[in-house]
Amino acid sequence: MMHVEFFLIIAALLFSIGCVGVLIRRNAIVILMCIELMLNAVNLTFVAFAAEGQAMTGHIFVFFVMTVAAAEAAVGLAIVIAFFRRRRSTDVDDASLMRW
Amino acid sequence: MHLLIGLIAVVVVFALLRAFLPGRTGLPVLFLLIAGATLVVLERADLLRIEFWAGSVAFVAILSALLIVLHPNPMVSVLFLIVNLFCIAVFYLMLQAQFLAALQVIVYAGAIMVLFVFVVMLLNLKAEEGLHLGGGAQRGLALALGAAFAGLMLWAIKTRREPPYFAPSSFAGGFGTAREVGALLFAKYLFAFEAASILLVAAMVGAVILAKRKLE
Repeated sequence: MMHVEFFLIIAALLFSIGCVGVLIRRNAIVILMCIELMLNAVNLTFVAFAAEGQAMTGHIFVFFVMTVAAAEAAVGLAIVIAFFRRRRSTDVDDASLMRW
Repeated sequence: MHLLIGLIAVVVVFALLRAFLPGRTGLPVLFLLIAGATLVVLERADLLRIEFWAGSVAFVAILSALLIVLHPNPMVSVLFLIVNLFCIAVFYLMLQAQFLAALQVIVYAGAIMVLFVFVVMLLNLKAEEGLHLGGGAQRGLALALGAAFAGLMLWAIKTRREPPYFAPSSFAGGFGTAREVGALLFAKYLFAFEAASILLVAAMVGAVILAKRKLE
């Protein structure tokens, strides 16, 4: 017998940690990893609510979030590689050409 | 729950010891071992209950998430993200989502993380000097916003009026199995499934084009 709240709280904490990570880290790859962390926290929330409501729609959502996460990781890492080739850096502060 | 709080306190003290005694690495490790053993002895009555294991896995998940964010070496961050994904797969199993737990290990920890490891090693990233974390104002603002966001979500979870328990015996037969997920996916959500396949093809082409050395 487990609280559903337990999983929701863990997911909330993981999401917040990932959110802070996106905001404070400057390395593009670590930022992508923090985004994966946030997506996983959301997935955990989906699965927790699916268990609570005894409905499997949440599982389908998690499936599609995983698909989008795979696509996002592939494109994001390709952008990081292209940027690294040009600037020899993965620091997002170096990507300042279009900054006002 | 007590164990979780105790473990978090131990790690906070450990981090403080590491920060203030940088030269002596043996002392904090010794403290960590003694504190961990004490906690296990104090909570030995709970050792075979699921709450104990859920709390331990939750602790590892939170700790690895913090290390992803705070470790200066990207390679170590990737490895801790893999640990975190395994912890979430364990949570999926606790929530009767067997198919998603398998998918989590195979697709996330297996495929996506290999991509991250490959790119980190390809670019030969070294540990950052002194963990460059943006400006002081940005860091403070980010931490405040993150804490406020966490507080808001915890408040929302605490004040919801849903039945707080779920009983494993109340699950319908086949809940969370590959058969049930597939039946939903290929009947009710067929269009979304096909759209996802187009998205994957587009992402694959985009990744190849972006990572190409020269377009001709």
